[in-house]
Amino acid sequence: MELGRLEYLQALVTEFQVTDSTEAKEQVLANLANFAYDPSNYEYLRQLQVLDLFLDMLTEDNESLVEFAMGGLCNLCLDKTNKEYILEANGVEPIINCLSSSNEETVVSAVTTLMFLTTPRSRAQTTALPVVECMLRFSLSANRRLSNLASIFLQDYCTPPQVEEARNLSRHTAVGIPLPKD
Amino acid sequence: AADSSGAPGAPCRHHAQLGACESRAKYREGWRPRAVKVYTINLESRYLLIQGVPALGVMKELVEQFALYGAIEEYHALDEYPAEQFTEVYLIKFKKLQCARVAKKKMDERSFFGSLLHVCYAPEFETVQETREKLQDRRKYIAKATNQRDCFVLKKVEGPKKTPSKNSEQDCPWNSLGSHVATNWDPSCFTSSPGVSHNIAYPSGNQNESLLTSPHYDNNCADISGYFGQNTSLTPSVHPGGHTPPTSLMQQRMVPACNGIDRFMPRTTHLQERKRKREEGNKFSLIGTSEDNTEVVIGPQLPEIPKVDMDDESLNTSATLIRNKLKEVADSVSTSVEKPESSSAKPLVKQRRRI
Repeated sequence: MELGRLEYLQALVTEFQVTDSTEAKEQVLANLANFAYDPSNYEYLRQLQVLDLFLDMLTEDNESLVEFAMGGLCNLCLDKTNKEYILEANGVEPIINCLSSSNEETVVSAVTTLMFLTTPRSRAQTTALPVVECMLRFSLSANRRLSNLASIFLQDYCTPPQVEEARNLSRHTAVGIPLPKD
Repeated sequence: AADSSGAPGAPCRHHAQLGACESRAKYREGWRPRAVKVYTINLESRYLLIQGVPALGVMKELVEQFALYGAIEEYHALDEYPAEQFTEVYLIKFKKLQCARVAKKKMDERSFFGSLLHVCYAPEFETVQETREKLQDRRKYIAKATNQRDCFVLKKVEGPKKTPSKNSEQDCPWNSLGSHVATNWDPSCFTSSPGVSHNIAYPSGNQNESLLTSPHYDNNCADISGYFGQNTSLTPSVHPGGHTPPTSLMQQRMVPACNGIDRFMPRTTHLQERKRKREEGNKFSLIGTSEDNTEVVIGPQLPEIPKVDMDDESLNTSATLIRNKLKEVADSVSTSVEKPESSSAKPLVKQRRRI
């Protein structure tokens, strides 16, 4: 296919918006999420509002769509412009909600994305008490990928008092973000 | 999957080989059938799990085959991992993520001693520190690729860990960029992303632009030599299609590596280097054409006479560095004019200016 890069991505986005087929939607979203891995595509993806698309998909019922969208965000959120855009668009909240997904990839992408989105400004949100508490539990998981990421979150993005506070809280209550089903 | 605990050595959901997607629309059908899967930095890993290895005592041959893609740090059989009859499962740990990526792409679904290999990442084998470094490398790569960070800062971050082997790991982002070029020209690679079984083929000509990042002003010779060492192996696979990036990679090889104390030269951009060489081309008979990548400009070349001699080597170095930086800033205005010239195949022929 001799389409230019922008035209190609545009075609993907259009297909996503127009198609009735769930299967096609999933394929296209996965495709876009993979494109989001490569910084040379970021300008185009922003132009085509794919960031908003990913954020919108986080609240879908379809588990695959959520998984792929979360992966897409994880892939592109390190870029400064993308990061600011996601933070401005109040993206942290739906991402935190993804921590309670039963889909392993979704959860793992969400943990990493929260780390990548943590800035001096956003850390009040990304390292809020319920999140830290959740990470504490994740750090004890038998799932190595999850426990590694959670450990890094606690060690590198939280202060010892924050971790201590969360530890105290979890001793007393069961309130918080549930663990994903194993 | 039967057991998706995510513990190392146990079958994980992300090891499962998904069926290829049959229903893609024509315009986004790739060259090879691919499954619907999203690759993130969490999924990729230096650790590869290889299933379907015939139980014929061929571990040595297997490792040799994978070693073609890069240095291997560890390997062993995974005896507890469920395997099909008459096959074995192996774990191979590459020194660099980028090598694991390429190895996976090339070896997955490849026939090996009559059996079809299934290769996937095994991030669950990583230690916390390995995962941490993986994420940090990804951060650095993005910062570099999107020009959002000062090169100096990049090096400083790695400061305390500086050893020769570590330096080449620092250059990981560069490696990724380098192999963008290699893989772009590889007819069997169709991914828009640096890697693996992604969904679609895209002839990514535009990607080359991301390779021309800001110059690295770096006082550490070893870093650059290591980088060039790695690039040397990459450039042969690049087809000289007259595009700027392959040329620039070859050109960077021309910057004299540190192979003598008295030959220390501060780093300059490749454009500046070419300009300097063109200006001094007549003086030094040993300098070949800039396009001649078989002739490296090292050797009995007359040392550059410092413009300001401050009678102190380190002061002279600093002065030259500052001077070059000023030159670079001044040159950045004329860069757009330089570019068409640098992409021409015969620099000694009269330059054509792009209108």
